[in-house]
Amino acid sequence: MMGQPKEDRFAVAASGAPRYEDNSKRNGDSSLALQEDKLWFKDAVIYQLHVRTFCDSNADGIGDFAGLTQRLDYLQDLGITAIWLLPFYPSPLRDDGYDIADYVSVHPSYGTFEDFKTFLAAAHSRGIRLIVEMVLNHTSDQHPWFKEARSSRDNPKRDWYVWSDTDTRYKGVRIIFVDTETSNWTWDSISKSYYWHRFFNHQPDLNFDNPAVIEALWQVMQFWLNLGVDGFRFDAVPYLVEREGTTCENLPETHAIIQDIRKRLDLAYPGRILLAEANNWPADILAYFKDGKEFDAAFHFPLMPRMFMSVKLQDRKPIIDILEQMPEIPVGCQWCIFLRNHDELTLEMVTDIERDYMYDEYGVDKKMRLNQGIRRRLAPMMDNDRKQIELLNGLLMSMQGTPIVYYGDEIGMGDNLYLGDRNGVRTPMQWNGDRNGGFSTADPERLYSPVISNAVYGYQAINVDAQQRSGHSLLLWTKSLIKLRNIFHVFGRGTIQLLKPANHRILAYVRQWDQEIVLVVNNLSSSAQAVELDLRRFESYVPIEMFGRNLFPRIRDLPYLLTLGPYQFYWFQLRRL
Amino acid sequence: MAEWDGSAFGGSESEIPSLLAENPFLSDDLLRQLMDVGEVDLLVGISSHKNGRTTSHALHALERSVQQHFTRQRAVIINACAEDQETGDDGAGQLRIVAQENSRSAKLAALRTIHQVNVDSSAPLSAGNALHTILAAADLLRARACAVLSPETAELAPDWIAKLLAPAYRDKFDFVAPLYARHKFQGLLARNLVYPMSRAVFGCGIRELYSDEWGFSGRLATVCLNQDVWNEEYIRVRPEAWMAISAIGSDFRCCQSFLGQKIQSTTSPGTNIVEVFRQAVGNLFWCIESRQSSWLESDRSEMAQTSGPDHELISEPTDLNRHRIFELFQSGVTELEPMLSSILDPETHAQIKSTLALEESKFRFGPELWVRTLYDFAASYHHAVINRDHLVQALAPLYRGMTFSFLIEHANSSAAEMEAGSDRLCGEFVRQKPYFMEKWKAMIEVKS
Repeated sequence: MMGQPKEDRFAVAASGAPRYEDNSKRNGDSSLALQEDKLWFKDAVIYQLHVRTFCDSNADGIGDFAGLTQRLDYLQDLGITAIWLLPFYPSPLRDDGYDIADYVSVHPSYGTFEDFKTFLAAAHSRGIRLIVEMVLNHTSDQHPWFKEARSSRDNPKRDWYVWSDTDTRYKGVRIIFVDTETSNWTWDSISKSYYWHRFFNHQPDLNFDNPAVIEALWQVMQFWLNLGVDGFRFDAVPYLVEREGTTCENLPETHAIIQDIRKRLDLAYPGRILLAEANNWPADILAYFKDGKEFDAAFHFPLMPRMFMSVKLQDRKPIIDILEQMPEIPVGCQWCIFLRNHDELTLEMVTDIERDYMYDEYGVDKKMRLNQGIRRRLAPMMDNDRKQIELLNGLLMSMQGTPIVYYGDEIGMGDNLYLGDRNGVRTPMQWNGDRNGGFSTADPERLYSPVISNAVYGYQAINVDAQQRSGHSLLLWTKSLIKLRNIFHVFGRGTIQLLKPANHRILAYVRQWDQEIVLVVNNLSSSAQAVELDLRRFESYVPIEMFGRNLFPRIRDLPYLLTLGPYQFYWFQLRRL
Repeated sequence: MAEWDGSAFGGSESEIPSLLAENPFLSDDLLRQLMDVGEVDLLVGISSHKNGRTTSHALHALERSVQQHFTRQRAVIINACAEDQETGDDGAGQLRIVAQENSRSAKLAALRTIHQVNVDSSAPLSAGNALHTILAAADLLRARACAVLSPETAELAPDWIAKLLAPAYRDKFDFVAPLYARHKFQGLLARNLVYPMSRAVFGCGIRELYSDEWGFSGRLATVCLNQDVWNEEYIRVRPEAWMAISAIGSDFRCCQSFLGQKIQSTTSPGTNIVEVFRQAVGNLFWCIESRQSSWLESDRSEMAQTSGPDHELISEPTDLNRHRIFELFQSGVTELEPMLSSILDPETHAQIKSTLALEESKFRFGPELWVRTLYDFAASYHHAVINRDHLVQALAPLYRGMTFSFLIEHANSSAAEMEAGSDRLCGEFVRQKPYFMEKWKAMIEVKS
């Protein structure tokens, strides 16, 4: 947008196209345009989905790449600019694909390799980048590597995994899936020894002290990079390396491995990114940026539960406290902000008091709780309160970082607590009111998962088609929100300055990048609020409310008074006029 | 007047209409601070008197209490302070600095914002003015449970605050009086006068009517706020007893909560026994006078429900100048003989005069005589033939006489024996209440 007259900015973005599409029109080559901007991920709006859940093209009850390709127009229209795909590799699917049996292929249920390539090309042609999963830490016990490793103690691949004759090594290391696992060691009856696994017992951990493992995984990454994927989400990255007498998390050796991979990536594939799944406290996450030498981006796990806490408490304190604890990250790096995802809403990185509060407010039914988290979707968590859902999405799109939208949250999909594990938030996408919610033409019994069909969140009431036809639907509102965000660089690249007005129910901050200045004011309360903001730094600026483009009174020396309705938020562009 | 119920719109239920708008005594600055706080569950008022350090300790204890015991509740601390005219020390300013130093870690661990509202006042705030402000804040913020604390209490423990707030917040009591572990000869004014007399007259026994900390409900706050008493001298100086008596008299639920051993701050103002006596007794008599409609027709006498031990007495040796007390009794009774003759019933007066002849070692001022004396004084206070302040002061030497007798009688008593004596005294007050009622009503006939 640099060099364009400012008054054109809104008009250019009216089409909903991301900024760099302008570059592609100038260059005539979208793929080249996608590669030019190394910081593309800062401006992105990422959409997270599992190919299995999105659209079934061949009536087998399972979503596939062909179906996903058919729905790319929808995603482009929504305004998202990147897709993060959950694992689609061959797998026994005992952990929804995170138990990988073949890193360099496509699960036959999702289509063929050619289907994938077609999808990737189609996404890129629409200016949508692709981030795929890279599950480094472990494989499925059905992976050929493990089958070989366990076949005998002398097998060349034996050392690709972590074995022990006893289950007493690494004593005291916490169990992550506390609801199902009782130990991080499992006895292998074939090779008569124990193997280490930080997750399910059918997901043995790879041994990163073995250089061959690192080389093999790099070759896997190269395979996908050569096809054109734009980045990897590294799953479970803190757990790569084990050492006696430690927590076996976030060890220096783990960081060294990531840095090595990053060096190789930058050399051979500039502009492709690494996104870390590191559910840790702020100081530990900072280490994964390592002055720009490790990950480009990391999920903002500390912030996420606190957004929900603040809305329920009607008090900005949880958000302010955690943001003030966050260290500065390297300039070229980015936080990824999210509300919900495919996993339970993790409460590992909160205090006991905070966890109890979250359980009592959002997970009152024990069925909602899993593994120190809450396995619910956004809309049911907010009791389908449109205003609260909008407020949270407003925070998602305006806080410092790249937002990630979980599929279905843009229409307010519900969840199914009667499905096991985390499957309740992985139900089929609801496209219309027809059979199976338009997800598939298969018999309903054949679906990989039942479609939500209750009176509140059922596909008859909540679906894309209905909301595209309703001018005031959540979908169209979300689309306009994303469109507005996409107009400005400031949201993805700008600084954040927290304002702390005396009214604690108001969360206000200023985002600034170059000449772009945006004031965001959020009412976290269920009742109308008044707030006086100290904006003397911007004296003589004129606030322009960004949704309606209406002018507000000029900022003067005195506190700037605003009133907000329940859960209302403002985005003001501050302009010196 | 139709009752407003904001609960349908997410607000808290209010059964009692507030007349706050009629009393424009809150400053704009305070109103603005309250506006920013919004509705709260808990409100704690504290008044600082020229000592930022003790107040900061109290604030720190408050914040820890909220963090530990009320993690999910919305809380505000109302800090009523005044500038020290002599030193020019701005208590609020010092307070903020010291409080910030101490409380940052507590605030980080708390789930919610713990608000602090500072009532800046260039003129010294009396206890009554401070309470008036605190009640107004409680009403405006629709606080469910409130407490008032004094920073003069050293070693203010976080769980004390919880013990004052929890009965109001969780168990729906309207007034929560403290109970302390005291030395057996501490608090004799309360033990031998205020408590048994108020229990007999008002029908509900609260041991510590005059205390530095107590709790109450938002409902009671609104009722008390709407009373037209805030210019009364006794309310300005010692409002807490009036609040307790208002609760008793209006059938609000009252209880007592055992806190622990009371340690007075070394920096607290020196205790002038005469002034204390004047305030406490004068206040009690004024309450009896002003709330006669609530007790004249009542005949109940019960102890307020208690949480924790009913009492705890410490029996360490103490150094009291008993001889001096006895001398003051004798000289006081002698000097005030004309006044006493107009206050006391002739029989009462004669009995008292007869004690003047007793040697110190044989002196006794028993419960029967003491109760009768008090009832005579209370009835005469109601009569107001002589200046009420002088009347109250005239009771002081007689109190000393009773105290001397008490000290002799209980020099070696155990805690159980002392409590038995206290129960007998309460029983005596009840037994002689018809005498008091007769005196009182006779005075009414004289007045009318």
